[in-house]
Amino acid sequence: MNFKHKYMFLLPGLLVLLGILIFPIGFTVRLSLSSWDSFYPALDFIGLENYVRLFTDDARFWEAFGRLSLLSLTTVFLQYVIGFALALMVWKDIVFQRFFRVLFLIPMMTTPVIMTVIWRTFFHESLGPVNDILSHFEMTPLWLSSEVLSKFTVILVEVWQWTPFMFLLLLAGLLSLPKEPFLAASIDGAGPIRTFVYVTFPLMAPISIGAIIIRLIEASKIMDTVYVLTSGGPGTATETSSFYIFIKGLREFQFGYSAALSLTYLIIMIISFTIIAKILVKLMVRGN
Amino acid sequence: MSLIASNLRLKPDAEYHLNDVCFEMSKGEIYTIIGRTLAGKTTLLKTIAGLIAPESGSLTLDGRDFGRIPVWKREVAMVYQQFINYPHLSVYENVAFPLKQRRMPAGELNDRVMKALAQVGLDGFENRKIQALSGGQQQRVALARSLVKEANIVLLDEPLVNLDYKLREQLREEFKNIFSAKASENSILIYSSTDPVEAMQLGGQILVMDEGRILQQASAKEVYENPSSTKVSQITNDPAMNLFEGTVADGKIILNAEIQFDLPQHCQALPHGAYVFGLRAAAISLAEGGFPFTVELSEISGSETFLHLKHEHVQVVGLLDSVQNFNIGETVTAQFDTAHLYAFATDGRLKSSPYGGLK
Amino acid sequence: MGYFYTTLKYLAVTLWSVFVIAPFLWAISTSFKDFQSVTNGATYIPWVDFEPTLEGWRALWKSPAQGGVDIVEPFFNSVFVTCAGSLISIILGTLAAYALSRFTFKAGPIRNGDITFFFISQRIMPPVVLAIPFFIMLGKFSLLDTLLGLILVYIVLLMPIAVWIMVDFFNKVPREIDETALIDGCNPYQAFYKVVLPNSIPGIIVAGMFCMIFGWTDFFFSFILTFTAVQLLPVAIVALNSSITPWWSLSAAALVSVAPLILVAFIVERFLSKGNLSGALK
Repeated sequence: MNFKHKYMFLLPGLLVLLGILIFPIGFTVRLSLSSWDSFYPALDFIGLENYVRLFTDDARFWEAFGRLSLLSLTTVFLQYVIGFALALMVWKDIVFQRFFRVLFLIPMMTTPVIMTVIWRTFFHESLGPVNDILSHFEMTPLWLSSEVLSKFTVILVEVWQWTPFMFLLLLAGLLSLPKEPFLAASIDGAGPIRTFVYVTFPLMAPISIGAIIIRLIEASKIMDTVYVLTSGGPGTATETSSFYIFIKGLREFQFGYSAALSLTYLIIMIISFTIIAKILVKLMVRGN
Repeated sequence: MSLIASNLRLKPDAEYHLNDVCFEMSKGEIYTIIGRTLAGKTTLLKTIAGLIAPESGSLTLDGRDFGRIPVWKREVAMVYQQFINYPHLSVYENVAFPLKQRRMPAGELNDRVMKALAQVGLDGFENRKIQALSGGQQQRVALARSLVKEANIVLLDEPLVNLDYKLREQLREEFKNIFSAKASENSILIYSSTDPVEAMQLGGQILVMDEGRILQQASAKEVYENPSSTKVSQITNDPAMNLFEGTVADGKIILNAEIQFDLPQHCQALPHGAYVFGLRAAAISLAEGGFPFTVELSEISGSETFLHLKHEHVQVVGLLDSVQNFNIGETVTAQFDTAHLYAFATDGRLKSSPYGGLK
Repeated sequence: MGYFYTTLKYLAVTLWSVFVIAPFLWAISTSFKDFQSVTNGATYIPWVDFEPTLEGWRALWKSPAQGGVDIVEPFFNSVFVTCAGSLISIILGTLAAYALSRFTFKAGPIRNGDITFFFISQRIMPPVVLAIPFFIMLGKFSLLDTLLGLILVYIVLLMPIAVWIMVDFFNKVPREIDETALIDGCNPYQAFYKVVLPNSIPGIIVAGMFCMIFGWTDFFFSFILTFTAVQLLPVAIVALNSSITPWWSLSAAALVSVAPLILVAFIVERFLSKGNLSGALK
């Protein structure tokens, strides 16, 4: 089907998007080729100097990348496992099913920043309830100011915030599965574990892939949590790529350089996601 | 009114292809397009409807270039094989949809809708929801909607293929009745099918289609009696016509060392040489004194038996009109009813037929 | 099945529920505290550990001049921007998604899949990357610190979501229905809004909900692109995070900001159970 009318459908949205985006993207590219910063606020042209710098002289950027990978992969993995488990549990016969389903959805409906502010008070090392209770056991872990624990706290908050997203997608998937394979499995005498491994999981493979990718894309942008909870600290313990770009750009005002960082980051991300998507598909398909 | 297609062409890609399709159709007739799956039947129907634009060639209706007219202005109707109805509307609203689109006045609209529903046997179903209907009922709604428009061209794309056997037979009868009533009116009915039996039952003209081409356009009787090529004979017979190679020499037809027989009447004047011979399954019977064949497979179907026989390079399927059992590997003697033998050239074209003689 | 699995199930579910509720309980309790109750170490149960007051809550509509932390205007600003942004994104996004699902586009080497990818890839960009250019761009058009400026930016954020969900959804509606509508006399616009749209309501609701969620919960863009004239709720609340953070009004404000979407949670669950969501999200 191909009618002239198709343009009227596509173009309004596409043009609006392009219109709003074209300047920012174009400008970012141009910026990345300049050395605009607070000392020399001018759009000069320095060629690929910024890029050379970030590839050869900026260990911090790549460390931030490493941390980002660690944090996002860990949180997404945890969210997937927990989300799936929760979905399985409220899928069928359970008391207060509706209550639990609504409850488990709520964290994702909250504003991450705002909840993180609350978490900050929650994990406050001297005035927060967590350490207050733990102090009875002679333990006052430095949730927000220890190198290792700060990562843990960030992961915990992220898991609290976004597991519902996985939970929602996976539960919707479970509810749409056909009944027949399960009937067959129960006739064959399969117990809950076998049913899961041989029936449920394989059937959920395509939805799982979609959910994981979507979640990974969102997780890689993690910013609000880090900003409020730890400000990237202590030191650079929880500094992720976007936070680093943020610092370089809006704290140190090195606009040119942060533009170069942004574009490099974007390209790496697009390539990574395409690869990850392909790998996941192969894995799931082979597993079947 | 006549619909003329000339050299319709569509580049072959995964789904669509049309190769120089030409035909001529006139009002008041039923045309059955018969072909195997992926032969291009649906593509052709959609091209006539206007959903697909051919790359070259023309389609004219009464001299007007159809190609210039967008789908929604062509007066056509189409019924799909997948029971397509508007899920969010009731039965009545479904059938009334095309008329409302035309802004027909309420009184006339109501009359037409009720008449169409009665024609398909769905009186009293007006307020039902589509999802609550069975497959057969849904297809009747689709049919009613196609009738209500009284369109110039009515297209049916294997409409019965997704229904069960009994329902198919029943609806086929009803179709015939509805459309022979319509046939005397101003429309062209085009029906596509893979089933030769269905095509023959509908009567009317047949267009045999394969790989995007029209191989033969003729009356059902003509296609049965004189299939224009081996391909046509395969497509229009169920089970497919048996084909085997042989030569004509010295007044005989020679298939191999053991199987030879005299030239039947209608083949007397065939020049010597190699041919492909065709024989319908029903023209093979078991009899004493016939040629020796080995049984490869025997299938019982209803009250008939299909017997797959082989003798060297000659493999045929015979149709026995009773239920009989055979062992695989058994040797039987089979006879060919040569009065009904077809002779095709090695390139497939018909050379001689039992009904039409030499070509 | 056995008791083992069942008890395990209820245990796990309860544990997670506690985890989910914990910060809320803490916030509720804190919202009734005052300076004393907070700085003297952690306190929990009102009347038992501390004297509850309504100061935190009252501060929410008192202006800063009166010692309050007025969130009324930011609240309605958030509502307006989120709704406007979502509405526009859904309208434009659904139309574009329909085109991408039904028609073939070809501009040189660019095909449908590429255009869809372009829409969706907007989500990969961290806000940080776009923040500075947007800042400069909105500045040029005097749209900084305005509702309109924010709405424009939100469209970039939310349209990809609408397109993503709706393309998938439209792909599941059989093309034959559009075709039948065309044959019945509808031009493509009519086929869309008379036939396809009424059958896509579940998908649109899902897209709408996700747009609302991601719109309401954005922080970064409103943070960078607004200052005083216009403030959105998340910014207003985080701004309270200063050296002497008023934990009590902070908690109260946080609870208020969370409330609207709890309603959305109910709607989503309704949909799930009725089976509509599952079709839309596959």
